[in-house]
Amino acid sequence: MVAAWKKSVPHVILLLYVAAILYPFVFVIFSSLKVSNQSIASNPWGFPFDLKFENYITTWVEAKINVYFINSFYLATSAAIIGVLLAAAMAFAITRMKFGKLSSVLTQLVLVGLLIPGNALFISQYILVKDLHILNTHWALFFPYVAGAIPTSVLLIAAFMRSIPRDLEEAAIMDGLNAVGLFFKIVFPLTVPALVTVFIINFLGNWNEFLLANFFLNKDILRTLPVGMVGFRDTYQTNYAQVCAGIVYSVLPVLIIYAILQEKIIEGLTAGSVKG
Amino acid sequence: MNDTLRNGYVYWMFVLPAVALYALFFMYPMITTTYYGFTDWNGLMPEKFVGLDNFVQALQNDMFVHAIRNNLIFILFSVFVQVPLIIFFALLISGVKRLRRFYKTTVFMPSILSTSVIGILWSFIYEPEIGLLNQFLGLFGVEPIYWLSDTKTALLSVLITNGWQWMGFYIILVLAAILSLPKELNEAAEIDGATGIQRALYITVPLIMPIISVVIMLSIAGAMRVVDIVLVMTNGGPAGETDVMASYMVLQATQTGQYGYGTAIAILIFVFALVLTGLYQLLFARKQERIEY
Repeated sequence: MVAAWKKSVPHVILLLYVAAILYPFVFVIFSSLKVSNQSIASNPWGFPFDLKFENYITTWVEAKINVYFINSFYLATSAAIIGVLLAAAMAFAITRMKFGKLSSVLTQLVLVGLLIPGNALFISQYILVKDLHILNTHWALFFPYVAGAIPTSVLLIAAFMRSIPRDLEEAAIMDGLNAVGLFFKIVFPLTVPALVTVFIINFLGNWNEFLLANFFLNKDILRTLPVGMVGFRDTYQTNYAQVCAGIVYSVLPVLIIYAILQEKIIEGLTAGSVKG
Repeated sequence: MNDTLRNGYVYWMFVLPAVALYALFFMYPMITTTYYGFTDWNGLMPEKFVGLDNFVQALQNDMFVHAIRNNLIFILFSVFVQVPLIIFFALLISGVKRLRRFYKTTVFMPSILSTSVIGILWSFIYEPEIGLLNQFLGLFGVEPIYWLSDTKTALLSVLITNGWQWMGFYIILVLAAILSLPKELNEAAEIDGATGIQRALYITVPLIMPIISVVIMLSIAGAMRVVDIVLVMTNGGPAGETDVMASYMVLQATQTGQYGYGTAIAILIFVFALVLTGLYQLLFARKQERIEY
């Protein structure tokens, strides 16, 4: 009896913590289906019995969540794909090709990027983007996203590529493959698991990015979801049900990706830091 | 064999796109940042070299000193409130067998969400009239509190949201370290009659000190960088109460166009972060002997 009680104490505490994580989401989903602020206020905890799905339609169309969603989606995806491809090519060159000195210089150069907090470059990047006349275009986010992801991507992919056995390479070269063929036909396919992890990390980072997206674009039709949502909250502060529907839209894709790939995401984001 | 992998054209073809982008959008801004910080520049007039003036001006500015204080509060809050809780929850999760995967998945969830959406979600929870928190306190007869617009509660409210977002990430880091420890030590101690709490305090925690150290370092670095959550939840308000260094920098540059001054603050943020993590390494991390097991 005592033993059973002792065993359940950790679960009680952990479930309380989990409730503190999950309840805000439940609250948002319930609220997003309610008719008005009044019905949220009179019944904050409860299930919305007068389900108002129109909130989702109104938010999607009138609040232009559809526009923000598409902007975020294609920007986050394209920047992550290009970033992974460039990083993979560079990682291949510095780990598998025979330019030892040069490669270690380039590795050091990329390592510096890990030390610099991205925010510190905010003003200089703003000025650069302005001088290049790409302010207020999606390029203003695309390039900094790709460039900012290069340090971690190159280092993670390079670590993975180093573990590919040399014999494989030698055999392929014997069979007449050149360096380019070696990369595309042998090394790249073998590296796919690492590339997927890096892609997801970069995608999530781009999808969630706020600072640059908020200040480098001021045309509403170009805005990404995190920025669009803040603007939406500020204008529609009177209708919390719709703001909640907006929150659901912006959280949903990330949660779906997480649900499918959570093992990989956790592994990727914690890689390298556990050894202490 | 060697010739194939010593092809200079291919090497540069593979390296150049990444290096060029990185150089232009990362290294170059780094260099210009160090330069602009020493100039008086508003983006229109040609810049004028002013030496350390910007730094002196910043450190004499009450608003900025207040922002530094807030960054320190972020650091203290994460080191003395969050880290103990992180260790506590990681120990609890490592101790249970059932539902472990469920706990792992759920506690990590907030860390993958956009800071700005979390900021919006929590400003709704803090909403004075219909927000979850005041509704809950109302059950006990507490009058509505204006969490984000009252100077007494604004910073605490942001701190709690920030903790809610990031704790799970660190719990998973610590948990991974705990689970990779060899089981024998704990089992031996159990046979010797040590209770669960004793085993946690005298065996597990000392063994995972290296990762705790990493978590503290990451928390310090994170607390120096914090900005999105402040911009979204309070925009530094009420009256600069919740401003942190980075939000002060962003608002200086975007609202008053003081690029030179703003960049100097970027440099200060970076220098403070380096000094703090360096000091931490020197004072605490070095002292720990390397633990072999």
